[in-house]
Amino acid sequence: MAAEETLQVQPLPFFKRLTQEHTRVFFFSLGKLGRNPVGTLLTALVIGVALALPAGMHVLTQNLSKISYSWQDSLQLSLFLKDSVSSERGAALAREIRDRPGVQATRYISREQSLAEFRSQSGFGDALDVLQDNPLPAVIAVTPERGRNKLQVEVLLGELTRLPEVDLAKLDQKWLERLYAILGIIDRAVFIVGLLLGIAVVVTVGNTIRLDIEARREEISVMKLIGAPDSFIRRPFLYTGFWYGLAGSVFALILVLTGTLALSGPSETLASLYDSTFTLSGLSFGSSLLLLLTGIVLGWIGAWITVWRHLAHIQPQ
Amino acid sequence: MTDIIHFNQVGYRYPGGKDVLSDVTFSLGRGEMAFVTGSSGAGKTTLLRLIGQLCKPTRGQVMVDDVNLASLKSGDIAPFRQRIGMVFQNFNLLYDRTVFDNVALPLVIRGFAYSDVQRRVRAALDAVGLLNREKSSPLTLSGGEQQRVGIARAIVSKPALILADEPTGNLDPEMSKEVLKLFERFNQVGVSVLIATHALHLIVHMPHRIIHLDNGKIAARRPRTPAMSDLPPFPGEDAHGR
Repeated sequence: MAAEETLQVQPLPFFKRLTQEHTRVFFFSLGKLGRNPVGTLLTALVIGVALALPAGMHVLTQNLSKISYSWQDSLQLSLFLKDSVSSERGAALAREIRDRPGVQATRYISREQSLAEFRSQSGFGDALDVLQDNPLPAVIAVTPERGRNKLQVEVLLGELTRLPEVDLAKLDQKWLERLYAILGIIDRAVFIVGLLLGIAVVVTVGNTIRLDIEARREEISVMKLIGAPDSFIRRPFLYTGFWYGLAGSVFALILVLTGTLALSGPSETLASLYDSTFTLSGLSFGSSLLLLLTGIVLGWIGAWITVWRHLAHIQPQ
Repeated sequence: MTDIIHFNQVGYRYPGGKDVLSDVTFSLGRGEMAFVTGSSGAGKTTLLRLIGQLCKPTRGQVMVDDVNLASLKSGDIAPFRQRIGMVFQNFNLLYDRTVFDNVALPLVIRGFAYSDVQRRVRAALDAVGLLNREKSSPLTLSGGEQQRVGIARAIVSKPALILADEPTGNLDPEMSKEVLKLFERFNQVGVSVLIATHALHLIVHMPHRIIHLDNGKIAARRPRTPAMSDLPPFPGEDAHGR
């Protein structure tokens, strides 16, 4: 009889059952956290601070990159032309170079203009009067296209050096190289700090879940006794990890946003002192989504590792 | 009557320890109710643990509901346990959930629709006389009521077999009799029931088979009979059936 009645009411089809079960656990785990709001908020806050640090450093490097990008406008190649190159040819060469890929602008400075500029800027005007010939060469100032990296600019420099009219080509990029090097270090530091704090998030969530598992050891044992598969027992803990990760990353977003807002005023004041219109940017929409996703994934991983390690040790007695 | 449980020369030994069960051979027919008796340490609980796949025999073969338990892989154990209703001495209820949620758990695990869960949980609670306590916490119930919640949880998924390990161990005599009557009621509608108990005085007058264990071996068997008064005293039973 029991078997007959069992046949009358069957479990739901697989996908319906899965949807119902996930919906149930989604709210069940949220409710469970809601019943311990202080503990939940503290854990989420710790995760939030851990995520906010690399996220804040990321915002910092993004803004520094923006500054260096704007400084790239001042990056120029100087092509010193041979004395035998006429003014007309020099000007024509400047136009030819401007049409090359990777070049944004060129400016031809004749020998006479060079001399005039030197005379006015160097303070050696009287000394120049003594010279019989103009010692300065004609120069083509080449501005590379925006966004060109160091290697691309060096390739362009090599190509221009090989032009027959060019005596010497120079790129004053030391300051830019130093800036890029600093940004590279900061980028690497962000990565390392992010990695370490990511591990910290995984450990934090894992430890919280471990305590939860220990507190619910008897409940887990009972569930196993009445036939709950590991997936059923595991699911609420994984969702708990999900909620911790989500709450932590929301906290992190709030912290980064607050920090950005707090620094935007002073940074704009500083920028205006340098005649710059620079404004501090916060996390973009894409980066914010990535931060949320990272928090969720880290929370889930922390929960999964802990549940995987501890669930097998709990056997019904 | 086909067998729902069949033990064939089953033995169990703790790792590096002594034999807890030795050469146990017995069967429980479908729709039958029987008791396993014996003093503490006789092997009653181990016998039930073997059926519930909480441990594996070190010798012999255990068949339950046509399944050779030795062939079960670890992933098959949970679905296998879902086919059995288990009742425990210490009730094993979840005290942070309501009576309804406790009873509903086996159905939720199996993935029944909420409407079916509600209907069947209420039917199970009605069967054990606790329909009016569905929203209560188990902590507010008496021992007997908690055990009835445990029984409702065991029967809610309509298993073919119920295993009960000392179900009256924490109850007073009156409540114990009520609980045993509940098991009889479920047995009368076709559910096989195997109860481990040391309370011989409570069961000796019931017309069900008794398998008596002593030191891990079957020491005596009493067949099912409607007229128990004609039988000589059972091992461990005094002249008053105690």
